[in-house]
Amino acid sequence: MIKVEGLYHSYSHDDKYAVRDASFEITRGEVFGFLGPSGAGKSTTQGVLTGLLQLQKGNVSVAGYDVKKPVRKMFNKIGVSFEQSNVYGKLTALENLEFYRKLFDVPTRDAMELLEIVGLDHVANQRAAEFSKGMKHRLTFIRSMINNPEIWFLDEPTTGLDPAIASEIKDIIKREKEKGTTVFLTTHNMFVADELCDRVGFIIDGEIKLIDSPRNLKLQYGEKLVEVDYRKNGGTVREKLSFIDESDRRRLNEIVNTGAIEMMHTKEATLEEIFIKVTGRGLE
Amino acid sequence: MKLLYSFLKDMRLSFKSFYIYIEIGFALIFVAIMLFVVPENIRPQVTVYAHIDLPESYLSAAEGALSKEGYDITMLSSREEVESEIASHRSSVGLVVSPEGGKIVYDYILQGYESEKFKNVIKASIEGTFVKMAPGFQDVTSVTTIEGDIEKLSTRLNMLPVFLGLNAAFMGLFIIAAYIFLDKEEGTIKAFAVTPAKVWHYLASKMGVMLVTGLLSGLIATVFIAGGKAHYFHLIMLIISLNAFGSALGLFIASFFDTMTKAMGWLYVSIIILAFAAVSYYMPAFSPLVIRILPSYPMLFAFRETLHEVVDLGYVYANVGGFAAAAVVFFLLSNYRFKKTLTV
Repeated sequence: MIKVEGLYHSYSHDDKYAVRDASFEITRGEVFGFLGPSGAGKSTTQGVLTGLLQLQKGNVSVAGYDVKKPVRKMFNKIGVSFEQSNVYGKLTALENLEFYRKLFDVPTRDAMELLEIVGLDHVANQRAAEFSKGMKHRLTFIRSMINNPEIWFLDEPTTGLDPAIASEIKDIIKREKEKGTTVFLTTHNMFVADELCDRVGFIIDGEIKLIDSPRNLKLQYGEKLVEVDYRKNGGTVREKLSFIDESDRRRLNEIVNTGAIEMMHTKEATLEEIFIKVTGRGLE
Repeated sequence: MKLLYSFLKDMRLSFKSFYIYIEIGFALIFVAIMLFVVPENIRPQVTVYAHIDLPESYLSAAEGALSKEGYDITMLSSREEVESEIASHRSSVGLVVSPEGGKIVYDYILQGYESEKFKNVIKASIEGTFVKMAPGFQDVTSVTTIEGDIEKLSTRLNMLPVFLGLNAAFMGLFIIAAYIFLDKEEGTIKAFAVTPAKVWHYLASKMGVMLVTGLLSGLIATVFIAGGKAHYFHLIMLIISLNAFGSALGLFIASFFDTMTKAMGWLYVSIIILAFAAVSYYMPAFSPLVIRILPSYPMLFAFRETLHEVVDLGYVYANVGGFAAAAVVFFLLSNYRFKKTLTV
């Protein structure tokens, strides 16, 4: 659905590249997470893929369309949700969606139904300027779903939202994935990426350092440890034991056999820890 | 259809942002000033305080003749009184006429700020009036105009083309850029850019709003000030082509900038330059080439034509066609540029 080969982009049109030699491919129905700190080149890449930024160098095809020779029909197949809410403040939520709906040449979703999905139906006739940041974000988010996109570009879909709304947004993304929608998700939130993505790409200073599934990355980079809390002599003891070390495995069996375990967690590495290990930099 | 939906959305926004009401309000204020402050016709009148030391019969004849020439004349009984009156009325002139050795001596008392031209005109005009009163005087002067008798508009009607030019036609130049930069700031332009709608739909819908606003304000002003004297069909055609030209020029200038602050200087300079044509419009004697080549110059005269009883259709439609063609060129250039820069 998306194929990127040797993508370069420079805002100053010189050799100061915001994205440098990026190559990746995303298949139909896949949720691909683009992970990196602010300024890493995530939004620039998304900008080129969505035609908001001109393709300067490289080959990019989105939904079968060559981005080098952009055609407006391509936008019938894609949906874009922006990090910054960008709705008409002077129009109501419903007016915003109704206007947007009419710009597509494909069957669109019912505006009220979308508002209901994110709990904005009760403020459908209220001006967007009067909305809280979270409400505007939800409106921007559902607007990107209005044309039933085959490819859905989501830029930081949960950033700045309270946990309940963020969870709601993640559930919607999961449901769309089940329907077969391809998702290109840019985020610096490793938990969101871990929860939603089939594969993630790490980008830093405009260069993609690694692409793999979160599971493979954890297996490859994580430490195979288990943390066990168990009761002993009236108190609680915590031990970290390796899956690999023979004596640790025996010790773990002993603790299990005592039946005194209170909590036990595998200690695979988080995506953030892997990101730091791979790039030497944090995600914030 | 996308153009229509986009236009309807922009119209709704212009109502909700009160822009359209502001334009209508401005047109109504202009109308109120024209109708209640500016007289239908302003005739420049010089007030003359005169002491004429001539026989009584001659005196009243002189007073009548000077009044007929357009002077507001007040006869006084001494030179001292004349000096006292003109000292308290700074726009007046004093005249003392007295016989001396069989000749008539004219003594002018002026304020001191008058130009040589004014002094000469006053002198020639007053003395000419007295000469005409001489027994056996025959006027053999003839005046021929190469353009025949050009129809003169009243003071009020003569001011209307300037309003139509700067408000109904060229206001879009500034406002359309403001609209685009507002959309950039809100980010809504990016949301539009990721739909199948085309850039020209976006630009043309903004021009549509400018056109509706220009037509509304222009027609409000014309209906109230000119009433049935205007040729509305020709006027509407002119407003459409000129408004399109102004908006397309505004789009073109805005396409070179990414913020209103950066574009403002150039837009402001453009408006000021275009406004210079009004100087030559009011003072036809001053119309150097640099002003005559401004698009606003023929525009003002074209608007004036639509207020004449007999319209020079050739001139009006040369303007309509010329400005419409220029609007298309600027629109195409803007569309080309905005395709690359609209979302940057």
